[in-house]
Amino acid sequence: MDQEREQTEQSGESGQQGEPQTGAQARKAATPGRELYSNVRFLATLMAVLILFFTFVARIVVVSGPSMEDTLHGGDVVLVWALGYTPRHGDVVVVTQKTFQEDSIIKRVIALEGQTVDIDYNAGVVYVDGEALEEDYIKERMYVPSYGEGINHVTVPEGCCFVMGDNRNQSADSRYPDIGIIDERCVIGRSMCVLFPLGHIKGL
Amino acid sequence: MKQINAVIDRILGLLDRYPRRLSWLACALGGGVLAALLRFIQRATAFEGPLGLAVPHAPASVILVCVSVITGAALLILAATQPIHKRPWARGQAHRWDLAFLDRDDKVYPIMLVAAAFLALAAAPVLFVKGAGRLKLWLDLAGMDGRPSDNGALALFTAAGAFLAFLGLQQMARESFRPGRRGKGGFSAALPAIAGCVWLMETFRAHASDPVLWDYAPRLLAIVAGMLFYLDCAGMSTGAARPKRLLWLAGATIVLSALAAAGCRDAGDLLLLAAQALAAAAVLWRLPPNLENPPVVGQPYQPMQVPPQEEESTHG
Repeated sequence: MDQEREQTEQSGESGQQGEPQTGAQARKAATPGRELYSNVRFLATLMAVLILFFTFVARIVVVSGPSMEDTLHGGDVVLVWALGYTPRHGDVVVVTQKTFQEDSIIKRVIALEGQTVDIDYNAGVVYVDGEALEEDYIKERMYVPSYGEGINHVTVPEGCCFVMGDNRNQSADSRYPDIGIIDERCVIGRSMCVLFPLGHIKGL
Repeated sequence: MKQINAVIDRILGLLDRYPRRLSWLACALGGGVLAALLRFIQRATAFEGPLGLAVPHAPASVILVCVSVITGAALLILAATQPIHKRPWARGQAHRWDLAFLDRDDKVYPIMLVAAAFLALAAAPVLFVKGAGRLKLWLDLAGMDGRPSDNGALALFTAAGAFLAFLGLQQMARESFRPGRRGKGGFSAALPAIAGCVWLMETFRAHASDPVLWDYAPRLLAIVAGMLFYLDCAGMSTGAARPKRLLWLAGATIVLSALAAAGCRDAGDLLLLAAQALAAAAVLWRLPPNLENPPVVGQPYQPMQVPPQEEESTHG
């Protein structure tokens, strides 16, 4: 009985009960299921491709906090390039320093390996290898931050970089001992541009 | 003891009968074991410091990548040379791809699938507890500085997805005994694939700020391979069958799942990885022989002969 039922089901699916089914007819009969399957597969594949892209090639990061004002504001959505990136002077980078917090932070690269950083709070100036940086991107004159002077004179070790926020008076960055000098392997990538909100769209 | 020997003899007999099946399983399982061993070695030697940052060009990492690529290439060669019976269009055989996983006499495939289904089911409460914990923390720290950005919703959805995967895998096992009417063979495999989508998002979300790619990239690749593998299983029933690709994806799922599972500390992820690896092994066990010798269900259809109804008697 089961066998008979099975035969009935198979033939019922084929849609032909007395004559051999041609390839075209069979393909036509399979159309609704194939449509559904194709849509599901397309969406799943698209999602996989996007997630792999945003893992190996680029990232989307949402800025939180005022430490990069006026360059970036809280809530800005930033595109970050990760593939093959090595830090350079002046780049706005996304960094994860787990000694500080699990979530990533976004700062600007001030000095690279082998360079010496000196911070003069009285003059509000940062010196790299003895030369004062011209920083038109900072929000306001720099004062001693709430956590004290922190690390204000240091030579950056090999494979590391020194980062600071553009809003120097409200930024926990390489000056803050819990963050300190950043290993370049902790740098996720370079911020390329602001994607959202629309009014903030710009290259970095 | 005799029974165990008999089972072993039977399995060895089946392997002898279908050498292609043996090649697939040996390549995928061998590659998986080797990748897992190398991953353990890599974890012990290729990361440094309290942050566990990757040592650049560490030998273990380089060898691991090479072994993975070589295994993938070997699987590709196997897939390219896999003999496939020409798809017949005659009535009764028109949906042969629906029957690609059918063999009533073979218990190995359904047992593996049922085991995979229960592994997925076991992952559901683990993931639920994890998601609920994150949600509670997120709610407790509302308005505070240290509030985490992850509210646990994706982990909760993944728990629901694990339950869906359980249902789908059970249905796949059932259909290996008897092809379904509406489910059409392996289409129920789309359920674990959908679960894989949510799981992929959850894993990505949980590691989005991790600078060490090795911490999570193998897991992401394993989930993607498993998801596409399940989708190809479902595709066997929709006229969009890609049997060679399905075999390759099954092998890749085993290798990448073993790689990702080595040293994985998350019980929910570990169970889901084991479930998809087991399902992929089941497919490698069943599919190659069925592609060479397609199963035939019943005889050509004959309308049932309805016996003539006797005239109702009007006499007492």
